[in-house]
Formats: sequence, C-alpha cells, structure tokens
Amino acid sequence: MQRWIWILFPSFAVACLAEFVFFSVIDPQQLYLFGEPVNYSPIATYSICFFGFWLVGMASTVFSVFLQRSPEEINRRQHRSIGHAHRKTVLH
Amino acid sequence: MKDVELSAAQSGAGTEDDTLYEVRQKIYPRSVSGWFNTWRWVLVWFTQLVFYGLCWLPWNGRQAVLFDLVQRKFYIFGLVFWPQDVFFLAVLLIISAYALFLFTAVGGRLWCGYACPQTVYTEIFLWIEKVIEGDRNARMKLDQATVGGRKIAIKVAKHSAWILVALWTGFTFVGYFTPIKTLMDEVASLQFGPWETFWILFYGLATYGNAGWLREQVCKYMCPYARFQGVMFDPDTLVITYDLERGEPRGPRSKKEDYKASGKGDCVDCGLCVVVCPTGIDIRQGMQYECIGCAACIDACNQVMDKMNYPRGLIRYSTEHAVEEHWGWNDILAHIVRPRVLVYSSILLSIIAAFVWGLATKPALRVDVIRDRTVMAREVEDGAIENLYRLQVMNVSEMEERYVLSVTGLPGIQLVGDAQISVPPATTHTLTVHIRVPADSARRGANPIYFDVKSLNNLKTAVHEKASFIQP
Repeated sequence: MQRWIWILFPSFAVACLAEFVFFSVIDPQQLYLFGEPVNYSPIATYSICFFGFWLVGMASTVFSVFLQRSPEEINRRQHRSIGHAHRKTVLH
Repeated sequence: MKDVELSAAQSGAGTEDDTLYEVRQKIYPRSVSGWFNTWRWVLVWFTQLVFYGLCWLPWNGRQAVLFDLVQRKFYIFGLVFWPQDVFFLAVLLIISAYALFLFTAVGGRLWCGYACPQTVYTEIFLWIEKVIEGDRNARMKLDQATVGGRKIAIKVAKHSAWILVALWTGFTFVGYFTPIKTLMDEVASLQFGPWETFWILFYGLATYGNAGWLREQVCKYMCPYARFQGVMFDPDTLVITYDLERGEPRGPRSKKEDYKASGKGDCVDCGLCVVVCPTGIDIRQGMQYECIGCAACIDACNQVMDKMNYPRGLIRYSTEHAVEEHWGWNDILAHIVRPRVLVYSSILLSIIAAFVWGLATKPALRVDVIRDRTVMAREVEDGAIENLYRLQVMNVSEMEERYVLSVTGLPGIQLVGDAQISVPPATTHTLTVHIRVPADSARRGANPIYFDVKSLNNLKTAVHEKASFIQP
C-alpha cells in the first residue's frame, strides 16, 4: 500500500500544481495537437492534460521507488530462493 | 477484554518476512464525547455547511463562487478573477501557508485535528459507521464474524451510505467548476456531460477511499505537513501531552485504594486513550508525528479522571516548558508572544495588507493593443497614412461599461469611425481601429503613439496604452 501511495500521491500533488501553473498562462484554445488546433471542449483539454501531467509524475515516482530499494532488499530476494533450497537439503 | 482492545489498537510490526514495511492493522477508533469532540463537530458542521452550501448561493444573477474553467474566469462574490490575476491566487496560497505556520507555532496541529478535510470526512464516515455497525467492539466482532446474511446486509448498508455521501461530495465539488444548477438540471434529465460525470465519480471515489478506507494512512504516509510540522514547533507550542510525572507509575487500582500510598501515579492504565485514537498511537509514549492533535485522548482520559474523582488533565493541551516547570494557563498564555510568533504574524499581516491593497486597487479595465501586422501601413485619401490596430478591451468589472477611445502622440492623428464602445460585464471586446496621420507629421519608421480608453460611467477607470505607428 505504501509503495502505491508513494507512486500515486506525490505525482498527483505535482500534477495539480503543474495544471494550475500551465493553464494560468496558457489558454486551452491556443493549443495545437499534431499541427491542428485542439478542438476538444475546454473541460476535456483540462482533464486530459491533468492526466498527462499525472502520468509524467508517476513515471518519475515509479523510477524513484524502484531506485529506493535498499541493497539488502535486492540481495534478499535472490538469497531467499537459494536459502529455501539450501534449508531443505540441510533438513533432509 | 481490555487486553484484546489494547493489542488490537497498538499497530503491530511487520509480520511477513518478505516485506520491510509495517503491515497496517485496521484501527477501530472508539467514539468519544467531550469538550474537544464537540468542537470538532462544530467545525465539521461549519466547514461542510460552507462547502455543500456555498455553491448554491446566488449573486448578481450568477453563482456566488464559481471557478468557470470554460470562460477562464473565477467569480468569488463581487470579485472576478481573470487569468492575468493568477498572482492573487498565488498570494492567497502564501497567506494560507503563513497562517498555517502561525497556528502551528501557537497551537500545534489545530488544522489537522479540527479542520482538515481528511479529518472532517473521516469523522463523518466514522459516524455513519457507528450508526450502522455500532461502536468499536461491535465493529471488531462484525469483522471477525463469518460471512453471512446479517454481515453482508450491514456492510452493504454502510458502503451504500458512504457512497451516497461521497457522490454528493463529488457533485458539490464539480458544482464549483460547472454552474451547479446546470449540473442539477443535467442530473434531473439524466444527461450528464462525460467529463463532469467523470470528475464527480473521481472526486467521489477519492472521498470514499480516503475517508472510508485509507483514513489515518493519509496523515501518516501521504501528508507532507505531518512531516515538516516539527519545524514550526518549539518548547512553547501547545501540544497534547501526557503528564508523565503525574501519571507514572501507571497501573490498575480499586477506587477506594490510597494509590498514592502504594506508590502509584494517576494513570489507571485503562487504555481508553489508545482505543479512541484515530491514528492508533499511545500518547503516553510522548509526542509522535502520527498525533494529529484531535484531542480524543484528552476527552477520554478526562472521563476516566472524573469517574475516579481525580483532577482532570492527566492528558491535556500543554507545552513542553509548561510541563517541565509546572506552569498554569497564565504562564502558558504569557509565552505565546515570542520571537517566532512575532515573526510569523508580522510577515502574515504584511502579506494580508498587500493582498487587500492589491484587491482594492485591482484595475476595472484592461487594454491590449496589437498592431495589425498583415497590413504594414497604407496610403488613403489626402495622402494620409493609415495603420490598423486590434484593441482588446477587457471589462473586468461586474457592470456593463461604455468606453470612449482616443489616440494621441502625433500632430493631426485621428481615429476613424466610432470612438465609443460598450462592453458587457466581465467580457473582452475585440475591435479593429483605423488610425490616420497626415503624411508629413510622422518620421519614417516607428513612431510612439498612445491609446486612451476611458469609462463614461466611472471617470477613474481609464487606461493609457503605448503603441507604435509605422510610417513607410
């Protein structure tokens, strides 16, 4: 659960801020998509952009969470599978 | 039974071998009544009356508070904010932050305990849970019971009630961005806009998830304020404190027993302070970052102290200094005025003053002059030179205005056509104006000229805007 929170929440908070700053200076009617003026409704543009910001934020937090794992945690995963096999042989 | 309550309330360490994270144990806060709990409910009612009610309030034929994203205008009672006014919103956020610093320095986590939406909605959801499932023990029993008709019926009833509150919250939230009456008509005729429906569900789901399921985890793992609150604390900050000196050594005793003679402190170790805690901590272990300052433990402990005929306040609002030095309230209050509080309040007051001044002097009219670049300059009758300009006249006020346009800066300069325009409230009017200058009065190249736009209704509303006139 905590890992999900780390991924979803900071990116959400930053997306809110980015949305606010971006659209306070840029009118959604002035945006271009593949060379064509965006013809979605403003609410659709705001919403899609918000999720865009959130996704970008999530990409970054997923990366951080991935790098945050301690050496023990990474090593432990390998050791455990080896350890299980080892323990079995010792017990028998 | 007490032992069961205690062990379930104290959050356990990770039981699974393959995770380094604490495994969350569900917390079943027992409901409590008392002075602080009453205050929390006062704040729940106040904040939610404002939130659920304000969007229904009319003002000047429109919604009093409306963040109109489509028109890119924010209406707050008599004020209209345009994208150009984003500065005010930024200052408002700074003011909120400083107010939070000040309150925290003086009274600890007052915001968390009484006014934060997470606390407020959790309180509402807990109340629903208590009405439908019963108090702490009944809820724990129900969760442990095997799945059957009764359990399913109770759970369905609770979640339906939660979902209804959550949906209404989502609907209200979206009602601040799309006029709520339009939204209501859409609901009545079952014709929702797709994005409005989406955001109602999204916000509703967030409310349901945060207040129903995540609860204290939001404060413990998501809230940045909980992490940096310590920076604003000092030994004179009011916090919820267990009086260690008075309480220890804790232990059960009979009511008739001369506990002081047997060397016991005032704490009867009933564990009530732990079972009422919404974040599941034991305040007797000292100040912890998980403590949201809700004072439920104070209310619970005071009830026990009353029953035992001991003085109240074994757990109380106090400061680190006050506990050490055995100060009374007069000493605590006398220490409110201190450098940190003075610095926070003077910064806060100066920003508020600047903000109010800025609002009071906010221009009621804005003008943008853009020279029409498709036509450089052209010669018209009598050999005069003409330039074209696009004028954007923004009536930022809430009343229809008539403006008169004029131009100066070169001998014989004149504006061709109608020099008066009327602009509806909170609207931008764009018009093209033709400016003529006799051939010999301007130098070759760019010449500075000035547009004046003046309101006919209000003489103070006027804009003087520079532009350039091109002489070929």
